[in-house]
Amino acid sequence: MNYPFWDVPHLGSGWVIGLIAIFHVMISHFAVGGGFYLVLAESKARRESRQDWLQVLQRHSKFFLILTGVFGAVTGVGIWFAIGLAHPEATSALIHNFVFGWAIEWVFFMVELTTAAVYYYTWDRIPDRLHIKVGWVYAIASFCTLFIINGILTFMLTPGQAWLAVAGTGMESSRFVQAFFNPLFWPNLFLRMLACASLAGVWALVTCARIDGVKFPELKTALLRWSSRWVIPSFALLPICFAWYLWNVPDAQRALMQLGVSTVGVGAFSQLTRTILIIPLSSASVVGVVYLFIWRSPVEVKMRHAASVVLLALFATASAEYGREMLRKPYVIGQYMFSNGVRPKAMSVLNTNGYLGASLWTRPLPASATAAVQRLAKGEAMFRGQCAACHTRDVYRSMKRLLGERNREGIGSVLKMLHDYDKDSPYRKYMPPLVGRPDEMDALGDYLASLTQKPEKSRTPGTPLASK
Amino acid sequence: MKNLIHSAYWWTDERLDLGGLEAFVKHKTVPQHAHSFWYYWGGLSLLFFLVQIFTGVLLLVYYRPGPDAYESVRQITFNTSFGWLIRSAHSWAANLMIATVSIHMFSVYFMKAYRKPREFGWWTGLGLLGLAMVFGFSGYLLPMDQLAFFATKVGLDIPSQLPVLGPKLAALVRGSLEVNEYTVQRFFALHAVILPLLFVPLLGLHLWLVQKHGNALPPSEERKPAAQRKSIPFFPNFLMKDLAMWLIAINVLAVLASLYPWDLGAQADPIQPAPVGIHPEWYFMSAFQVLKVLGDWIPGKAGEFVGLGLFTVAIIGWMLVPLYDANSQAGRRARNATYFGLLLLIASIATTLWGYLAI
Repeated sequence: MNYPFWDVPHLGSGWVIGLIAIFHVMISHFAVGGGFYLVLAESKARRESRQDWLQVLQRHSKFFLILTGVFGAVTGVGIWFAIGLAHPEATSALIHNFVFGWAIEWVFFMVELTTAAVYYYTWDRIPDRLHIKVGWVYAIASFCTLFIINGILTFMLTPGQAWLAVAGTGMESSRFVQAFFNPLFWPNLFLRMLACASLAGVWALVTCARIDGVKFPELKTALLRWSSRWVIPSFALLPICFAWYLWNVPDAQRALMQLGVSTVGVGAFSQLTRTILIIPLSSASVVGVVYLFIWRSPVEVKMRHAASVVLLALFATASAEYGREMLRKPYVIGQYMFSNGVRPKAMSVLNTNGYLGASLWTRPLPASATAAVQRLAKGEAMFRGQCAACHTRDVYRSMKRLLGERNREGIGSVLKMLHDYDKDSPYRKYMPPLVGRPDEMDALGDYLASLTQKPEKSRTPGTPLASK
Repeated sequence: MKNLIHSAYWWTDERLDLGGLEAFVKHKTVPQHAHSFWYYWGGLSLLFFLVQIFTGVLLLVYYRPGPDAYESVRQITFNTSFGWLIRSAHSWAANLMIATVSIHMFSVYFMKAYRKPREFGWWTGLGLLGLAMVFGFSGYLLPMDQLAFFATKVGLDIPSQLPVLGPKLAALVRGSLEVNEYTVQRFFALHAVILPLLFVPLLGLHLWLVQKHGNALPPSEERKPAAQRKSIPFFPNFLMKDLAMWLIAINVLAVLASLYPWDLGAQADPIQPAPVGIHPEWYFMSAFQVLKVLGDWIPGKAGEFVGLGLFTVAIIGWMLVPLYDANSQAGRRARNATYFGLLLLIASIATTLWGYLAI
């Protein structure tokens, strides 16, 4: 509430983060797995005196450097900008708790960027053993960035009781270690390590597919098959790690996954179930297509075959990341902050003193504005503050579509349910509470009704509908 | 274990001649060239048809044609576990099947794969596309929601304009003076019994013809000397790639069915006005737009007659192309056939886009 609202029409601010993050995850996991791939492949090639392998690996390290060092780094910074704009409250909470963690991560990130460049530019310029050592420094530094960011990401779903006990007291950083090694830390780390290995193999196919299969059939076969093996660990272990992960997810969040089993519903209620269905299918398909396209006929592999595997990996990554984000609902930081930035502990204060009164960034209106205009402006400010983090007016999770045929009374009833936030409310599983004084809730109702263009003629303007 | 598998194989082989089948598939080859990508689209069409059968049978368990049609689809969508997914997969696979059959048809056309001796392959393929579109039209009504009701009403008005047989045909299909539960029952019989009875044997004949004549070479490959042409064994090389394409296609279907589940509108109510912006499915949009435009340009029945006449001529021309362009050498007729195909393709895409923009 102490920050400006970032209103991204049609798409929503969440998708700005999502679009950057999905590509970033594809590349950053390659940055971790690919480091190990390069150094292990180089070690094998030098051990077996395979000069032809080394030439291909040199080309691959250039592709690796450009993709991870440019696109990976740019999208990483892009995520920072986007989350800071889309959810400043949550970003602020994370920085206040993990500033030391991020500082360590940036040190490893600098080592990672530097050694990636050194690794590429020193092929045949430094002794072989030293080159391999540079590769190992890169691989370990990149793994450390994953290790640290994993602690912060998993904290957002399961901050742990130790940290929650001191949350809001100003003593949060005293529980840094407990928050970092939260219940989901290890299962999520293993899941991501498997994804890193898979993506290392998948991206290597792009380089290996370019080898001329007519001139170098043995080289192409050997490298493609060696790269294909990198997807096997995830095929074998992913189900186990995923079960381990789910075991540590809070019950309320696990129940979210079942919401879409028996009903397609409307809007967000079944999104998690629908998204999660794609993850096992696309992950298994990566392995299947690698076997059928790559392993069976390696000499005939073309760029389009490798591209199809990358596309499937993108499906798997996108659905997994989207699913992970959705699993946190109705929170953005588990049990500490709702997805609309409201802290559970602040609800009663905001309901008494008002939501907009605590917001420094609401748009001032000229004194000459009519009462109706002022009420709509107040309603819009409520929408921007409490709804726009997840909903747009007209396209993604469109309020117009979700409100459907409801008239002003119907809209008021929905808002009242969200405001009351009763324990048995179906919305409670997924939606954060709405907070604010009755006049603010009423203004929000009027604003939403204006979106659906169904004004209630029988109602006296200004009569509270959504008050307690 | 190995011995057991061997014994089982020999036992079956003695009775069914599996060795003969194995020798046959190993003998079969598929040409390998720059346009080989288009060979996969027939297989993809088959995949989506198989998905249709599988999901259709599951829907049959819960669907009740007649007065309960809407309520049963509502239960499938909102009460039955994963019912929405099966219904969505069925609807999306239907659309993807028509899309892949259309791509397959145009790729066959531009590769001149309709020429001797593959004319019957072309005609059976056109028959399958026609039946697939009737599948789509008949299936569209079955949920009996507002959109389905009015789309069917408008759709049946078109054939009823045909002289002599038109009104009788429309009345026969409708089963009543208006679209109602009797129409649903007739459409259901058509969709779940009559069409499969026609489609499956025709598909069998089509596949047999493909098997008999093999994959056609595009003219650019035919011109090459035989020694320069490449091919790969059907089994296992091509089959493995075909299966990989199927896996990718299943993923596309899963993404569409999961993330964009098929909606169910309000129950059909003939007294209500037609929904705003009502329009047919994308594969009928081109025809719909042409009829709409001709209706505007030539008022009255004449516009409809001109439109229907135009379609009849185009369809007959499309069917007779193998007889017109029968020569394997590139010549005037081959060029004209290619231009005709391009004209039809561009006109279909343009009128479809026009139709959507005009909504």
